[in-house]
Amino acid sequence: MSAVLDPPLGAIAAASLRGVSKTYRHFHLRDIDLEFATGTVNGLIGPNGAGKSTIMRIMMGLVRPDRGTVAMLGRPASSSESSAKREIGYFSEDMRLYKAETIAFHMQFVRSLFPDWDERYAEELLDRFGLIAKQKIKGLSQGQRVKALLLLVLARRPKLLILDEPTNGLDPVAKQEVLSELMQTVKDEARTIVYSSHHTQDIEQICDTITFVDRGRVIASDDRDGFLNGWRRFRLQAPGSWVPPQIAGLRAEASFGNLRVMTIDRYRPDVEEQLEASGATLEGSEAMTLEEIFLATVTRGREECRR
Amino acid sequence: MNAQAIRILFLKDLFLSRWPLFGYLVGGLASAAVACLPNEAAGFIGFIMMVTVTIAAGIHLIGVLLLAESADMTRTFVMSLPISLLDYSVAKIAVVLVTFLIPWAGMLASLMVMVFVIPEAKPGVLPFLVMVFLFMLAGFCLQLITAVITESVGWTIVVVVLGNVLLNVFLKELREQPSISSLIESETLRWPPLALQIISVEFAAICVALGVAVLFQLRRKDLA
Repeated sequence: MSAVLDPPLGAIAAASLRGVSKTYRHFHLRDIDLEFATGTVNGLIGPNGAGKSTIMRIMMGLVRPDRGTVAMLGRPASSSESSAKREIGYFSEDMRLYKAETIAFHMQFVRSLFPDWDERYAEELLDRFGLIAKQKIKGLSQGQRVKALLLLVLARRPKLLILDEPTNGLDPVAKQEVLSELMQTVKDEARTIVYSSHHTQDIEQICDTITFVDRGRVIASDDRDGFLNGWRRFRLQAPGSWVPPQIAGLRAEASFGNLRVMTIDRYRPDVEEQLEASGATLEGSEAMTLEEIFLATVTRGREECRR
Repeated sequence: MNAQAIRILFLKDLFLSRWPLFGYLVGGLASAAVACLPNEAAGFIGFIMMVTVTIAAGIHLIGVLLLAESADMTRTFVMSLPISLLDYSVAKIAVVLVTFLIPWAGMLASLMVMVFVIPEAKPGVLPFLVMVFLFMLAGFCLQLITAVITESVGWTIVVVVLGNVLLNVFLKELREQPSISSLIESETLRWPPLALQIISVEFAAICVALGVAVLFQLRRKDLA
């Protein structure tokens, strides 16, 4: 399944992928259609090896797709095209800086390529992140290394931020500092963020729209509230002879004796009435976390693939 | 092609390789000085030292500037900046070549100067030295192509070893050519046709190797 989220009326897509596929020996990225509207924060959630990083590398022109087209800020994304990257900030968890050099060296290097580099903001970030410009990269902790990379990305004031697992390996304090800085960044409504993670809590905290990726495919895409309000889990008491009613969006059903648990992804207020009218006793209904929604979607998607 | 981006990348890599570059330049000049001592054994040792410095500089600089960037994932950082693959490739191949050429040219230039300055030196040896140095440069270009294509330390070392063996064969063959061996002890500087032919072939091989390296880099599909 592929998904394209319609951008809000009047919004221009900051990035779009159409029919993008890429084949490696042991991995296939298939028919990815995605569109990220300007001024939105977009989350890509997927397990390790799902294809999130490949999607982002294709967006940056670091990996050439076998099929499909990619446009970034209205320009084609390719390794031969560098103009779009002037306005894009890319962070990847496996990206490294030069170990033997200092943060100041990297700031100087990046500044020389970006006329809009904001030196005052860079100094502010140094201070806020507790970094020392003269510190060598090899002496930094994992959290400091991530912050140094983010500083180099944020201080160029990019219109589009592509962040691939930026909070991986960070302690809770460092993670919160990084997420807070990103929240500050998105206060500017013209700025777009595409953020990938397998930590659903991070995505839930900052993203407006969310896309689930698994095994090289987009398996669901919606805005955050669409996911959180649309999914519900019901606990019912029903006799063994009970026949469940036809409910739109029924995703999973499990029985434990007379206890039934039903999960639906298109919740409407009349669902409770439908269930009770069918002869079951509703014990409770609860909203689901993004992680639970993600797991249910992945499980269902994999079952459908097996069939 | 963005000349400004290429210049910045070139200077960045030159800065990153400053210490090995300095070491090889000093080592190369010291070897050239030893080779010019008025003593046959010292001359031989100096020559071996120069060959060693050249081979070591080649593999080390390719390792530091080219292979390490891919293995250490610093290339992902560089390519996330507003740089096209053409800018990156041109800058990378240019800086690897220039950093090798600095000690290489330093050694060759000091030998040339000393051949004319030291009274006991035989200027006739100059074409022989030029042929040997160009052979080593061609061997370096071959290592460069291997590194660009395979991004493998192992394969690059295989080519280094192969180049070293071929250098010995080349030296033996040169000394067995009467028109060349007679030059080595000659008091007058002459450029026999065979020497000019060998130099032309070496130049052509260097140009082809560099062209292939740039072309292959540009055809690369994935950079991260």
